[in-house]
Amino acid sequence: MAAAEKGTPPTAAEVRRLHAVRRMIFLLLAVAVVAAVIVPFKLPGKPSSLARTVFEDLESLPQGSSVLLSFDFDPTAKGELEPMGIALLRHCFARNLHPVVMTFWQSGVALHKTMVERTAAEYGKVSGRDFVFLGFKPGDVNLILNMGESITGAFDKDYYGRPTQGMPALAGLNSLRTLSYAVCLAAGMTTEVWIAYGGDRFGFPLAAGCTAVIAPDLFPYLQSGQLRGLLGGLRGAADYELLVGTPGEATRGMRPQSVAHLFILGLIALANAEVFAAFLKKRRRF
Amino acid sequence: MKATPTPGADRAGSRAPLERIVGLVLVVAFVAVSVFVSLPRGTPATDALVKEAGGTAPSDHQQAPSPAERLRRQCGVILAAGLTLIIYSFLYRDNALFKIVENLYVGIGLGYGAIMTWYLSLKPEVVDPFLQAADRGDLLDAVRLRSVPILLGCMLVTRISKRFSWPSRYAYALMIGWGAGIGIPITVHTFVLKQLEAAIRPIGLQGLAEAWSSAGMFSTAFWSALAAPAGVLLILVGTVSVLYYFFFSVERGPLGRAVSKIGVIFLMISFGASFGYTVMGRISLLIDRVQFLLTVWLGVAR
Repeated sequence: MAAAEKGTPPTAAEVRRLHAVRRMIFLLLAVAVVAAVIVPFKLPGKPSSLARTVFEDLESLPQGSSVLLSFDFDPTAKGELEPMGIALLRHCFARNLHPVVMTFWQSGVALHKTMVERTAAEYGKVSGRDFVFLGFKPGDVNLILNMGESITGAFDKDYYGRPTQGMPALAGLNSLRTLSYAVCLAAGMTTEVWIAYGGDRFGFPLAAGCTAVIAPDLFPYLQSGQLRGLLGGLRGAADYELLVGTPGEATRGMRPQSVAHLFILGLIALANAEVFAAFLKKRRRF
Repeated sequence: MKATPTPGADRAGSRAPLERIVGLVLVVAFVAVSVFVSLPRGTPATDALVKEAGGTAPSDHQQAPSPAERLRRQCGVILAAGLTLIIYSFLYRDNALFKIVENLYVGIGLGYGAIMTWYLSLKPEVVDPFLQAADRGDLLDAVRLRSVPILLGCMLVTRISKRFSWPSRYAYALMIGWGAGIGIPITVHTFVLKQLEAAIRPIGLQGLAEAWSSAGMFSTAFWSALAAPAGVLLILVGTVSVLYYFFFSVERGPLGRAVSKIGVIFLMISFGASFGYTVMGRISLLIDRVQFLLTVWLGVAR
């Protein structure tokens, strides 16, 4: 903007133009996403190596092993993490693993309960025998440390109020030290808490799934081996759905996601071209 | 202080009646579309939501919902669709409906949080162990194990009074002391030592040399073997140069400036990756809402 460059406030015409451009971008983005949702087309999908590691780790576990799933998100991150959680649950149920589901986010309990019950019903799995839904318990790091001593001591009852002591789904799982595998699906920084107070301290293999926004913060833990694998955002969820062989909401979301990304790349290129043209024009003037 | 007139305020004033009419038409259109799509025809909307998620609809497992239940679900879907559209209306301009829904969201969030705190934290951990103790032994256990934590919790609440806030200091002192004692060694181990270890790994050229001698330089095996040492080198260079960029105590010569510039390049790439992921995250949320509107509310996509 010429006025902005001179340090003067923008004129009314410039403000109107900016508003118009902003609204046009929103409108075009909405049209692109809606069109990509309605019009079906196929995209080549190749799961990332990070998702494949999580999948192969779960594949390598013997049947009946307990897998801790910490669903640390609430409905605000449903779009990205619900498909991921459902794909993980489906994988566990299909392989006769015993998912032990808990959360540190009390505002997400209702969503997690629906996810677990619905997916369990698909596979005819019974609560307490094939899976455990522990729900929420306050305590944060204290709870993890407590689980490191005894799972049934930390959660004496499951979400439905049944005693966890002697539950078939928890057979052989005394504490986090005997845990076969854990996956933390987080919309916040709970993964780092699980790494520090769980995986590093008690030595169980830990993987993570997260919203796209926090994925870059977790890459250093892959390099150091503190995380086995990482499912990042909707793409991570789609990767896992493809690996499990149950394409769902995330896989369908890849169509509008790709179109929206292309659109944004185009806008970035256009804006850079404008800046470059202005630069050339200025250079010619001198 | 004299208010500065907003540029284009006059034009906005003249546009207001037209915008009101358009807004009213949109509200009427929303109601009409909602009524139309709610008429009984084929798969219920709520089942479509489940099937969209790749799952099995409740109706596949359970008996069909009663008319009252169906009406309740449809009202829920229409309400959710309306609230979604009102929230997105902010992209055009801030408006009264958006303000109402924004406050509604905050209010519901707080109310829901309070209820969940009561049912998932306070009731099962503080109230029930005392009031629903099965026998004298359970009651004594509750008194023995929970009295001190409950007392400390109550001491924290005294912060609301300026005069009687001193007991809260003891509770905070305990929390800070415990937190530091547990947290410092774990933090140093997890976030410093482990990360340092990952940054100074041996480059490991043995695999590369083997690939060179067995398959030659232009083979896939060679380039695959090159990835690991190149990654280790890249991380080492990135870590050192970025740390050097934030090192302000020494005047930099030409070499120092070059290292610093490399650090800036690494930082820029990192910011770019973060921005890309952020865009992906925001678009994912938009897609979730669009899928809800098109699949569950309108039923035009599967």
